[in-house]
Amino acid sequence: MSAKTTTSILYLDGVSVSFDGFRAINNLSLVLEPGEMRAIIGPNGAGKTTMMDIITGKTRPDEGEVFFDGRVDLTKHDESEIAMLGIGRKFQKPTVFESHTVEDNLVLALAGPRKAIPALFHRQTKAERERIDEILQTIRLTARRDELAAALSHGQKQWLEIGMLLAQDPKLLLVDEPVAGMTDAETEETARLLREIAQTRSVIVVEHDMQFVRELDVKVTCLHEGTVLAEGSLDQVSGDSRVIEVYLGR
Amino acid sequence: MPVLRIFRLIFILIAVMAGPARADDAALRTMLNGLANADGFAAIEKIVGDIAATGDPKAERALGALSSGDLYVRKADKTVLIGKSKTGGYVLSDPLTGDVAGEAKRSEVEKIKVNNTLRRVVREALGGLTLASVDPRARLNAAETIFKSGDPHAIPTLDAAIARETDPAVKERLMEARASATLKAQAPVAETTAALETIAGRGDREALSLLKSYEAGAQGELKDAAGAAIAKIEQTLALWAAGQNVWYGISLGSVLLLAAVGLAITFGVMGVINMAHGEMVMIGAYTTFVVQDLIRQYSPDLFDWSLPIALPLAFLVSAGVGLIIERGIIRFLYGRPLETLLATWGVSLVLQQTVRSLFGPTNREVGNPSWMSGAFQLGELTITWNRLWIVVFALIVFALLLYVLNRTALGLQMRAVTQNRRMASSMGIRTPWIDAMTFALGSGIAGIAGVALSQIDNVSPDLGQGYIIDSFMVVVFGGVGNLWGTLVGAFTLGVLNKFLEPYAGAVLGKIAVLILIILFIQKRPRGLFALKGRAVEA
Amino acid sequence: MITRFLAGGLERRINILLAILVAAAVLVPVLHLAVPASSPLHMPTYVVALVGKYLTYALLALALDLVWGFCGILSLGHAAFFALGGYAMGMYLMRQIGARSVYGNPDLPDFMVFLNWKELPWFWHGFDHFWFAMLMVMAVPGLLAFVFGWFAFRSRITGVYLSIITQALTYALMLAFFRNNMGFGGNNGLTDFKDILGFNIQADATRSALFAASALALALGVLVTSALVRSKYGKLLIAARDAESRMRFLGYRPENIKLFAFTLSAVMAGIAGALYVPQVGIINPGEFAPANSIEVVVWTAVGGRGTIIGPIIGALLVNGGKSWFTGALPELWLFALGALFIATTLFLPKGIVGAWEEWWKQRRERDGRAPMMSARNPIESPAE
Ligand SMILES: Nc1ncnc2c1ncn2[C@@H]1O[C@H](COP(=O)(O)OP(=O)(O)OP(=O)(O)O)[C@@H](O)[C@H]1O
Ligand SMILES: [Mg+2]
Repeated sequence: MSAKTTTSILYLDGVSVSFDGFRAINNLSLVLEPGEMRAIIGPNGAGKTTMMDIITGKTRPDEGEVFFDGRVDLTKHDESEIAMLGIGRKFQKPTVFESHTVEDNLVLALAGPRKAIPALFHRQTKAERERIDEILQTIRLTARRDELAAALSHGQKQWLEIGMLLAQDPKLLLVDEPVAGMTDAETEETARLLREIAQTRSVIVVEHDMQFVRELDVKVTCLHEGTVLAEGSLDQVSGDSRVIEVYLGR
Repeated sequence: MPVLRIFRLIFILIAVMAGPARADDAALRTMLNGLANADGFAAIEKIVGDIAATGDPKAERALGALSSGDLYVRKADKTVLIGKSKTGGYVLSDPLTGDVAGEAKRSEVEKIKVNNTLRRVVREALGGLTLASVDPRARLNAAETIFKSGDPHAIPTLDAAIARETDPAVKERLMEARASATLKAQAPVAETTAALETIAGRGDREALSLLKSYEAGAQGELKDAAGAAIAKIEQTLALWAAGQNVWYGISLGSVLLLAAVGLAITFGVMGVINMAHGEMVMIGAYTTFVVQDLIRQYSPDLFDWSLPIALPLAFLVSAGVGLIIERGIIRFLYGRPLETLLATWGVSLVLQQTVRSLFGPTNREVGNPSWMSGAFQLGELTITWNRLWIVVFALIVFALLLYVLNRTALGLQMRAVTQNRRMASSMGIRTPWIDAMTFALGSGIAGIAGVALSQIDNVSPDLGQGYIIDSFMVVVFGGVGNLWGTLVGAFTLGVLNKFLEPYAGAVLGKIAVLILIILFIQKRPRGLFALKGRAVEA
Repeated sequence: MITRFLAGGLERRINILLAILVAAAVLVPVLHLAVPASSPLHMPTYVVALVGKYLTYALLALALDLVWGFCGILSLGHAAFFALGGYAMGMYLMRQIGARSVYGNPDLPDFMVFLNWKELPWFWHGFDHFWFAMLMVMAVPGLLAFVFGWFAFRSRITGVYLSIITQALTYALMLAFFRNNMGFGGNNGLTDFKDILGFNIQADATRSALFAASALALALGVLVTSALVRSKYGKLLIAARDAESRMRFLGYRPENIKLFAFTLSAVMAGIAGALYVPQVGIINPGEFAPANSIEVVVWTAVGGRGTIIGPIIGALLVNGGKSWFTGALPELWLFALGALFIATTLFLPKGIVGAWEEWWKQRRERDGRAPMMSARNPIESPAE
């Protein structure tokens, strides 16, 4: 372990994974500092979602190191443990509990004990209620708190999922394509929301929408065929000839 | 009797070819006529021994007549002749040539009596004589007879026979027979040990019992040698037993494969849980019954063709029923597997009850055509024809299915639809039609499985119920969506089952297999040959 | 804490159901025992026994609904837990026969004497005591469900795969119990019971008491289940049904959530089986038949899964129908049952209760009132 791992919130080094001989991630290295927000771009199939699968324990890497918070080896933990360590994730396809109300979705996401038996006797505290009201405000779903999540629009589901991440109160957020299917105004709102979140937490955002990435105004990493192609400010990266070649087009 | 006629022909041939042998006829005749004066069974036995020692096949007729009690002494001239009874007397014939030699009244001849011991002696002597037969099958049988009796007197005859034998298989049997005789002959240690080895090399049950009885009477070094030989045979026999188990396993596996392969299409390829799959098999079996019934009534000669006739019909009937089910019920339930499961269970109840009302609740008799009945021996294995045909049939069905799926347009479209329905339909594939065809294909395959299963199982309305759980186990164990997995799964489970049976009994063996599968699925939830990728995780 | 947990689950519909059950537990014995046989209000013995049996079926259906309706686990092996509970009760009842059996052996049940056994197998010890038998009624199904579920849920076996292996489980158990040397009476099972807790099992008073016990057990089941599904845990159950991976990334362990429900459900099924056996007087391996488990599924589906009263209504209706059919048109029963399976899945996917709720909601909307917040009612099409 190098010195970097002790200070960075997320540290990936030489990570590779293959599916039936196909290398989805190839010797990928990435370091995220505490409080940093990072945007990840790259063509379809570059391995962005797979990278998140590795960080959250869904996929085990064939080789390489994955450390969280400078000391925790993530390859040794499963999804729930990693979530409890403080890593939250929004899926590429919005995934909420469709037959629960918006409010109940947040209740379930709220930080707290995760065991079955305590859940039987759990009663909502005042603090919890306030926190939920607050999040509902943030994600602009206060008016629809009692409706089933299934009834929300695609964009609203995205927001609800982000709200659930907030309720979970993680140290690191992984957000996969949060503005897919959103209007320009909504996209702008989301960018603002993410920037706000990033003030207290580390965030990784995967997105294809360049306008959105520009609004985030953070360091950008471009993935291609499972490895880092370029890293730096958006202007630097989008000026890189190889990035133009494989992703942005001329 | 044709056999006798052939024998006679052979004898004539031998007589013609072996001219010089004619000279010996006189000696043989003298010996035979000695029987007329023989006093008591012991004397007869000695003469039989002498005759056998000549090794002359011409004595065969006489000895055969002796053992069946057809040999008589003509009181008038004390000659020995064969007599066939007719009203009031006998037709006499020459014991060596078989030429008719007049007739006689009852009082003019006297029967040469034999008892059981003597009959055995004669049989053994005959064994020795047929060693010289031109028919290798007859020589083989003769060697077998001597092997079982182990008559030490036969050794010289055997040596002669071995020396002139050209057929290696017969020669081997002869050597074994000689070894068996050697054991009884109190031969020197070295020779006996060699004989023990030869017998051990034969490795079957007969050799085992021979050695066991020898071991019981032997002492010292030879007893040890016999013990070693027994151990060797037991090992060989254990191998054969294992082989028999493998065969039973393959046979069971082919049944499982037949029952499951249609399911591998509907469940594996389409993802439809068809609990009425067993009933499709049952319908196929009943189609066979109806076909046979009609044939029996109208054209019994065609009976051997009943299965080839039933196969396409069973396919069509089951496929038709499948088509109705798909169009009527399942198509409304795509994407809701658990509901499909329930609805098709309902269908299975209705189908069972329909068949019960039409054909009655009891078993229906479905016959085996002649080419499906009987058995043959392969080494120590007994293989029944119906099981063998079913194994062959299962493999053919599997190969055909593989061909349809991988090499035909329908198969290509089927795979396209199952992998990405929307994309396939936007490329102009008529997805509803493909769904219906796929389901009908799976059901039709179940129907022809029913034709095969009607040959080995009771044809009753609950026929299908007996297979449904096993079929699902096979598909799940092999890996859903993979035909090869179904093949391997079926045979693995079949063989596993049959290997557990001797230790645990049939029921416990089956339970053990079920538990093993349950545990296996825990380890590999997607079966032996899992499809990988994201599609299956959704 | 427990009372708060239980009180938390009350709702009007449930209250009415509970009231009916408690009333039945009191009234039926009165009508059966105290009202003279000549009176039209008298309840004959066979009705008491029949309805008592239905109530145990209802409890079984409710148990299945807890895992299927609320948690999406379609168990095709719930009859196995029912039968295991029944066998535990049957073993107690066998021990009560004592020397009154046909062979008159005070130490061994008849079938063991018949098999030439010399002493009681170890697993029969303790069943002389009612408390021990009752413990086993819950412990055996519970333990089996726990072990099975622990393996299955941990390996993330879901959907039809799980259904198929639960079916294999009950099938394997059926084969096992059919064996004579398992020590459970082979295919005859356990029967010829004499008395329970010292009371003649055939007596009217005992039958009434068993009826009351069944009604109260069902009431308790309803109380516990409804409290459970209204708690935060209940929300987790539904969450595990709909989006297991989302749960996992929130830090929950869906396998544990499911395991708790599965085990509890098996215990409920075991209790139902234990109440069933003394009322029908026999338990045999046929109870493990896979078809039985699937029938339970159809009761639940007809009534409406994912609701508390649905499975109870379904169990009573379908079994009432079955009794009528097997009396009047026996050969048509399987047609009717089969058609019921098909019709329910095609036309009534949410069952009677679900359909009624929908109709009610639509009527209220048409009347221009604020749409009812059915959101709290977790019966929306569960993802499978
Ligand atoms: N479980 C899996 N099994 C097989 N292949 C997989 C699996 N997961 C990912 N892949 C493959 O790995 C590659 C990378 O996929 P990934 O989803 O990470 O790309 P992405 O960068 O997120 O693309 P997009 O922008 O389209 O979301 C793809 O080719 C994908 O098919
Ligand atoms: Mg992606």
